[in-house]
Amino acid sequence: MKLWVKIALFAVLIIVITAIWIGLHMFNLKHTDTAKAKPDFVITATVLQKEFEDNEGTASSKYINKIIEVNGTIASVTPADSTHLNIALKTRSDMSTVICTFQNITDPSKYKSGEEITLRGECSGFLMDVLLKNCAIVVKRK
Amino acid sequence: MKRLFLFLFFLNIVLAANAQKYMTKNGYIGFYSHTPMEDIKGDNNQVVGALDISTGEMVFQALIKSFHFDRALMEEHFNENYMESDKFPKSVFKGKISNLKDVDFSKNGIYNVTVEGDLTIHDVTNKISAQGTIEVVSGGINANSKFKVVPEDYKINIPGVVKDKFDKNLEVTVAMKYTPIANK
Repeated sequence: MKLWVKIALFAVLIIVITAIWIGLHMFNLKHTDTAKAKPDFVITATVLQKEFEDNEGTASSKYINKIIEVNGTIASVTPADSTHLNIALKTRSDMSTVICTFQNITDPSKYKSGEEITLRGECSGFLMDVLLKNCAIVVKRK
Repeated sequence: MKRLFLFLFFLNIVLAANAQKYMTKNGYIGFYSHTPMEDIKGDNNQVVGALDISTGEMVFQALIKSFHFDRALMEEHFNENYMESDKFPKSVFKGKISNLKDVDFSKNGIYNVTVEGDLTIHDVTNKISAQGTIEVVSGGINANSKFKVVPEDYKINIPGVVKDKFDKNLEVTVAMKYTPIANK
Protein backbone atom coordinates (compact mmCIF):
# COMPACT_ATOMS: atom_id res chain seq x y z
CA MET A 1 0.00 0.00 0.00
CA LYS A 2 1.32 3.39 -0.95
CA LEU A 3 2.20 5.79 1.83
CA TRP A 4 -0.36 8.46 0.78
CA VAL A 5 -3.13 5.89 0.86
CA LYS A 6 -2.18 4.96 4.40
CA ILE A 7 -2.14 8.62 5.43
CA ALA A 8 -5.51 9.23 3.76
CA LEU A 9 -7.08 6.17 5.47
CA PHE A 10 -5.64 7.24 8.80
CA ALA A 11 -7.06 10.76 8.34
CA VAL A 12 -10.50 9.34 7.51
CA LEU A 13 -10.33 7.13 10.60
CA ILE A 14 -9.48 10.10 12.81
CA ILE A 15 -12.39 12.10 11.35
CA VAL A 16 -14.85 9.23 11.87
CA ILE A 17 -13.73 8.69 15.48
CA THR A 18 -13.98 12.42 16.20
CA ALA A 19 -17.45 12.57 14.64
CA ILE A 20 -18.67 9.61 16.73
CA TRP A 21 -17.13 11.12 19.85
CA ILE A 22 -18.82 14.51 19.25
CA GLY A 23 -22.08 12.76 18.41
CA LEU A 24 -22.06 10.73 21.61
CA HIS A 25 -21.08 13.76 23.61
CA MET A 26 -24.01 15.77 22.19
CA PHE A 27 -26.39 12.85 22.70
CA ASN A 28 -25.43 12.43 26.34
CA LEU A 29 -25.17 16.13 27.10
CA LYS A 30 -26.61 16.93 30.51
CA HIS A 31 -28.56 20.01 31.44
CA THR A 32 -26.71 23.08 32.61
CA ASP A 33 -25.90 22.61 36.28
CA THR A 34 -27.73 25.64 37.63
CA ALA A 35 -26.03 25.22 41.01
CA LYS A 36 -22.72 26.16 39.37
CA ALA A 37 -23.78 28.17 36.32
CA LYS A 38 -23.27 31.90 36.21
CA PRO A 39 -26.71 33.54 36.23
CA ASP A 40 -27.75 35.81 33.37
CA PHE A 41 -29.94 37.80 35.76
CA VAL A 42 -30.02 38.30 39.53
CA ILE A 43 -33.43 39.52 40.63
CA THR A 44 -36.09 39.31 43.38
CA ALA A 45 -39.24 37.21 42.88
CA THR A 46 -41.42 40.33 43.24
CA VAL A 47 -39.63 42.25 40.49
CA LEU A 48 -39.50 39.23 38.16
CA GLN A 49 -43.23 38.54 38.50
CA LYS A 50 -44.06 42.24 38.05
CA GLU A 51 -42.08 42.44 34.81
CA PHE A 52 -44.06 39.50 33.39
CA GLU A 53 -47.35 40.93 34.62
CA ASP A 54 -46.66 44.39 33.20
CA ASN A 55 -45.46 43.22 29.81
CA GLU A 56 -45.35 39.52 29.10
CA GLY A 57 -43.89 39.92 25.62
CA THR A 58 -40.91 42.01 26.69
CA ALA A 59 -40.25 39.90 29.77
CA SER A 60 -40.53 36.68 27.74
CA SER A 61 -37.88 37.68 25.23
CA LYS A 62 -35.69 38.97 28.05
CA TYR A 63 -35.88 35.99 30.42
CA ILE A 64 -37.01 32.81 28.65
CA ASN A 65 -34.26 30.16 28.40
CA LYS A 66 -32.00 32.33 30.58
CA ILE A 67 -30.57 31.30 33.93
CA ILE A 68 -32.07 33.49 36.63
CA GLU A 69 -31.02 33.79 40.24
CA VAL A 70 -34.10 34.66 42.28
CA ASN A 71 -34.37 35.80 45.87
CA GLY A 72 -37.67 35.58 47.70
CA THR A 73 -39.82 34.24 50.50
CA ILE A 74 -41.28 30.75 50.23
CA ALA A 75 -45.06 30.85 49.72
CA SER A 76 -45.59 27.10 49.45
CA VAL A 77 -43.73 23.82 49.08
CA THR A 78 -45.44 21.12 46.99
CA PRO A 79 -43.95 17.70 46.35
CA ALA A 80 -44.91 17.11 42.72
CA ASP A 81 -43.96 13.43 42.82
CA SER A 82 -41.26 11.28 44.43
CA THR A 83 -38.37 13.07 42.73
CA HIS A 84 -39.71 16.53 41.94
CA LEU A 85 -40.40 19.42 44.25
CA ASN A 86 -42.10 22.71 43.47
CA ILE A 87 -41.29 25.75 45.58
CA ALA A 88 -43.42 28.85 45.05
CA LEU A 89 -42.00 32.27 45.94
CA LYS A 90 -44.19 35.13 47.15
CA THR A 91 -44.68 38.20 45.05
CA ARG A 92 -46.70 41.38 45.45
CA SER A 93 -49.70 39.61 43.95
CA ASP A 94 -51.90 37.11 45.83
CA MET A 95 -52.77 35.28 42.64
CA SER A 96 -49.35 34.90 41.12
CA THR A 97 -46.02 33.56 42.36
CA VAL A 98 -42.72 32.35 40.96
CA ILE A 99 -42.95 28.52 40.78
CA CYS A 100 -39.61 26.73 40.75
CA THR A 101 -39.31 23.03 39.93
CA PHE A 102 -36.40 21.02 41.36
CA GLN A 103 -35.51 17.73 39.70
CA ASN A 104 -33.59 16.10 42.50
CA ILE A 105 -34.89 17.28 45.84
CA THR A 106 -36.89 14.56 47.53
CA ASP A 107 -37.20 15.91 51.06
CA PRO A 108 -39.79 18.70 51.16
CA SER A 109 -39.58 19.00 54.96
CA LYS A 110 -36.32 20.94 54.66
CA TYR A 111 -38.13 23.94 53.21
CA LYS A 112 -40.87 25.87 54.95
CA SER A 113 -43.24 28.68 54.05
CA GLY A 114 -42.00 32.05 55.19
CA GLU A 115 -38.31 31.23 54.86
CA GLU A 116 -36.16 33.40 52.68
CA ILE A 117 -34.37 31.58 49.91
CA THR A 118 -32.15 32.21 46.91
CA LEU A 119 -32.30 29.80 44.01
CA ARG A 120 -31.26 29.53 40.39
CA GLY A 121 -33.25 28.11 37.51
CA GLU A 122 -34.05 28.31 33.81
CA CYS A 123 -37.05 30.43 32.94
CA SER A 124 -39.68 28.71 30.77
CA GLY A 125 -42.19 31.54 30.74
CA PHE A 126 -45.42 32.75 32.32
CA LEU A 127 -48.74 31.00 32.79
CA MET A 128 -50.43 32.38 35.89
CA ASP A 129 -47.06 32.40 37.59
CA VAL A 130 -43.50 32.82 36.40
CA LEU A 131 -42.17 29.29 35.85
CA LEU A 132 -38.58 28.19 36.45
CA LYS A 133 -37.30 24.68 35.83
CA ASN A 134 -34.10 22.76 36.54
CA CYS A 135 -33.68 24.71 39.78
CA ALA A 136 -30.94 24.58 42.42
CA ILE A 137 -30.74 26.17 45.86
CA VAL A 138 -28.08 28.86 46.18
CA VAL A 139 -28.42 30.03 49.77
CA LYS A 140 -30.87 29.02 52.44
CA ARG A 141 -31.33 31.48 55.28
CA LYS A 142 -33.43 31.42 58.38
CA MET B 1 -54.50 39.96 26.27
CA LYS B 2 -54.72 36.16 26.51
CA ARG B 3 -53.30 36.43 29.98
CA LEU B 4 -55.98 38.93 30.95
CA PHE B 5 -58.65 36.47 29.84
CA LEU B 6 -56.97 33.75 31.82
CA PHE B 7 -56.91 35.98 34.87
CA LEU B 8 -60.55 36.93 34.42
CA PHE B 9 -61.42 33.28 33.97
CA PHE B 10 -59.80 32.30 37.24
CA LEU B 11 -61.02 35.45 38.98
CA ASN B 12 -64.49 34.41 37.90
CA ILE B 13 -63.90 31.02 39.47
CA VAL B 14 -62.71 32.61 42.70
CA LEU B 15 -65.63 35.02 42.93
CA ALA B 16 -68.38 32.64 41.88
CA ALA B 17 -71.01 32.14 44.57
CA ASN B 18 -71.08 28.74 46.27
CA ALA B 19 -67.76 28.05 44.68
CA GLN B 20 -67.31 24.40 43.98
CA LYS B 21 -64.13 24.96 42.14
CA TYR B 22 -60.89 23.15 42.59
CA MET B 23 -57.50 24.09 41.30
CA THR B 24 -53.81 23.24 41.19
CA LYS B 25 -50.75 24.98 39.83
CA ASN B 26 -48.51 21.98 40.44
CA GLY B 27 -50.22 19.45 38.20
CA TYR B 28 -48.35 16.80 36.27
CA ILE B 29 -48.51 15.97 32.57
CA GLY B 30 -45.97 13.62 31.07
CA PHE B 31 -45.59 11.69 27.86
CA TYR B 32 -43.78 8.55 26.97
CA SER B 33 -42.82 6.72 23.84
CA HIS B 34 -40.74 3.63 23.41
CA THR B 35 -38.22 3.39 20.56
CA PRO B 36 -35.71 0.60 20.02
CA MET B 37 -32.87 3.02 20.67
CA GLU B 38 -34.17 4.67 23.80
CA ASP B 39 -37.28 5.72 25.65
CA ILE B 40 -38.54 9.22 25.14
CA LYS B 41 -39.97 10.72 28.29
CA GLY B 42 -40.93 14.29 29.08
CA ASP B 43 -42.27 15.53 32.41
CA ASN B 44 -44.03 18.75 33.32
CA ASN B 45 -44.83 19.48 36.97
CA GLN B 46 -46.04 23.04 36.42
CA VAL B 47 -49.45 22.40 34.90
CA VAL B 48 -52.32 24.67 35.89
CA GLY B 49 -55.55 22.73 36.23
CA ALA B 50 -59.05 23.76 37.26
CA LEU B 51 -62.12 21.63 37.93
CA ASP B 52 -65.69 22.74 38.53
CA ILE B 53 -67.52 19.95 40.29
CA SER B 54 -70.97 21.46 39.72
CA THR B 55 -70.64 21.35 35.92
CA GLY B 56 -67.77 18.88 35.44
CA GLU B 57 -65.78 21.39 33.45
CA MET B 58 -62.02 20.87 33.35
CA VAL B 59 -59.27 23.15 32.08
CA PHE B 60 -55.55 22.44 31.80
CA GLN B 61 -52.82 24.79 30.72
CA ALA B 62 -49.15 23.98 30.32
CA LEU B 63 -46.07 25.69 28.98
CA ILE B 64 -44.24 23.56 26.42
CA LYS B 65 -40.91 24.80 27.71
CA SER B 66 -41.73 23.43 31.16
CA PHE B 67 -41.34 19.85 29.91
CA HIS B 68 -38.18 18.31 31.26
CA PHE B 69 -36.15 15.58 29.59
CA ASP B 70 -33.18 13.74 31.01
CA ARG B 71 -31.14 14.53 27.91
CA ALA B 72 -30.57 18.23 27.26
CA LEU B 73 -30.36 17.63 23.49
CA MET B 74 -33.74 15.88 23.46
CA GLU B 75 -35.29 18.82 25.30
CA GLU B 76 -33.79 21.21 22.76
CA HIS B 77 -35.07 19.17 19.78
CA PHE B 78 -38.49 18.85 21.40
CA ASN B 79 -38.75 22.63 21.76
CA GLU B 80 -37.10 23.77 18.55
CA ASN B 81 -37.81 21.09 15.95
CA TYR B 82 -41.07 19.48 17.01
CA MET B 83 -43.17 21.77 19.18
CA GLU B 84 -41.73 25.13 17.99
CA SER B 85 -42.30 26.42 21.50
CA ASP B 86 -41.14 29.96 20.73
CA LYS B 87 -44.06 30.29 18.29
CA PHE B 88 -46.54 28.12 20.22
CA PRO B 89 -45.60 28.39 23.91
CA LYS B 90 -48.77 26.91 25.43
CA SER B 91 -50.84 23.80 25.28
CA VAL B 92 -54.45 23.91 26.48
CA PHE B 93 -57.24 21.45 27.15
CA LYS B 94 -60.82 22.53 27.77
CA GLY B 95 -63.41 19.87 28.37
CA LYS B 96 -66.04 18.25 30.52
CA ILE B 97 -66.63 15.09 32.48
CA SER B 98 -69.37 13.44 30.42
CA ASN B 99 -70.63 11.09 33.15
CA LEU B 100 -70.64 13.58 36.03
CA LYS B 101 -73.67 11.91 37.67
CA ASP B 102 -71.53 8.81 38.37
CA VAL B 103 -69.27 10.80 40.69
CA ASP B 104 -70.31 11.45 44.28
CA PHE B 105 -68.14 14.36 45.35
CA SER B 106 -69.45 14.12 48.91
CA LYS B 107 -68.10 10.61 49.40
CA ASN B 108 -64.44 9.63 49.40
CA GLY B 109 -63.61 7.07 46.74
CA ILE B 110 -62.38 6.45 43.22
CA TYR B 111 -64.77 7.00 40.34
CA ASN B 112 -64.25 6.17 36.67
CA VAL B 113 -64.91 9.07 34.34
CA THR B 114 -64.81 9.93 30.67
CA VAL B 115 -63.60 13.39 29.77
CA GLU B 116 -64.32 14.94 26.39
CA GLY B 117 -63.04 18.21 25.05
CA ASP B 118 -60.68 20.20 22.87
CA LEU B 119 -56.94 19.68 23.10
CA THR B 120 -54.71 22.33 21.57
CA ILE B 121 -51.09 21.45 20.91
CA HIS B 122 -48.78 23.18 18.43
CA ASP B 123 -51.66 25.57 17.56
CA VAL B 124 -53.82 22.68 16.28
CA THR B 125 -57.06 21.86 18.11
CA ASN B 126 -58.60 18.38 18.08
CA LYS B 127 -61.55 16.85 19.87
CA ILE B 128 -60.42 14.12 22.21
CA SER B 129 -61.99 11.72 24.65
CA ALA B 130 -60.10 10.10 27.50
CA GLN B 131 -60.81 7.61 30.26
CA GLY B 132 -59.65 8.50 33.73
CA THR B 133 -60.43 8.49 37.40
CA ILE B 134 -61.59 11.08 39.89
CA GLU B 135 -60.52 10.32 43.42
CA VAL B 136 -62.36 12.18 46.15
CA VAL B 137 -60.10 12.48 49.20
CA SER B 138 -60.34 14.50 52.38
CA GLY B 139 -59.47 18.08 51.55
CA GLY B 140 -59.16 17.66 47.82
CA ILE B 141 -59.73 15.82 44.58
CA ASN B 142 -57.22 13.83 42.55
CA ALA B 143 -57.64 13.33 38.84
CA ASN B 144 -55.68 10.78 36.83
CA SER B 145 -55.76 9.77 33.20
CA LYS B 146 -53.72 8.02 30.55
CA PHE B 147 -54.49 8.41 26.88
CA LYS B 148 -52.82 8.30 23.47
CA VAL B 149 -51.89 11.26 21.31
CA VAL B 150 -50.73 10.99 17.71
CA PRO B 151 -48.20 13.78 16.94
CA GLU B 152 -49.28 13.84 13.26
CA ASP B 153 -52.77 14.95 14.29
CA TYR B 154 -51.19 18.14 15.63
CA LYS B 155 -49.02 18.78 12.56
CA ILE B 156 -45.90 17.88 14.49
CA ASN B 157 -43.43 16.72 11.88
CA ILE B 158 -41.16 13.91 12.85
CA PRO B 159 -38.32 13.49 10.36
CA GLY B 160 -38.11 10.27 8.32
CA VAL B 161 -35.03 8.91 10.04
CA VAL B 162 -36.66 9.04 13.44
CA LYS B 163 -40.20 8.32 12.23
CA ASP B 164 -39.77 4.61 11.55
CA LYS B 165 -38.37 3.98 15.00
CA PHE B 166 -41.05 5.99 16.64
CA ASP B 167 -44.22 4.61 18.11
CA LYS B 168 -46.91 6.73 16.41
CA ASN B 169 -48.86 6.91 19.64
CA LEU B 170 -47.46 8.88 22.51
CA GLU B 171 -48.78 7.86 25.87
CA VAL B 172 -49.84 10.92 27.85
CA THR B 173 -50.23 10.76 31.62
CA VAL B 174 -52.18 13.38 33.55
CA ALA B 175 -52.05 13.55 37.36
CA MET B 176 -53.68 16.41 39.27
CA LYS B 177 -54.03 17.01 42.96
CA TYR B 178 -56.66 19.68 43.26
CA THR B 179 -57.42 21.71 46.34
CA PRO B 180 -60.57 23.78 46.81
CA ILE B 181 -60.42 27.46 45.99
CA ALA B 182 -61.24 29.44 49.12
CA ASN B 183 -64.49 31.34 48.87
CA LYS B 184 -63.41 34.94 49.32
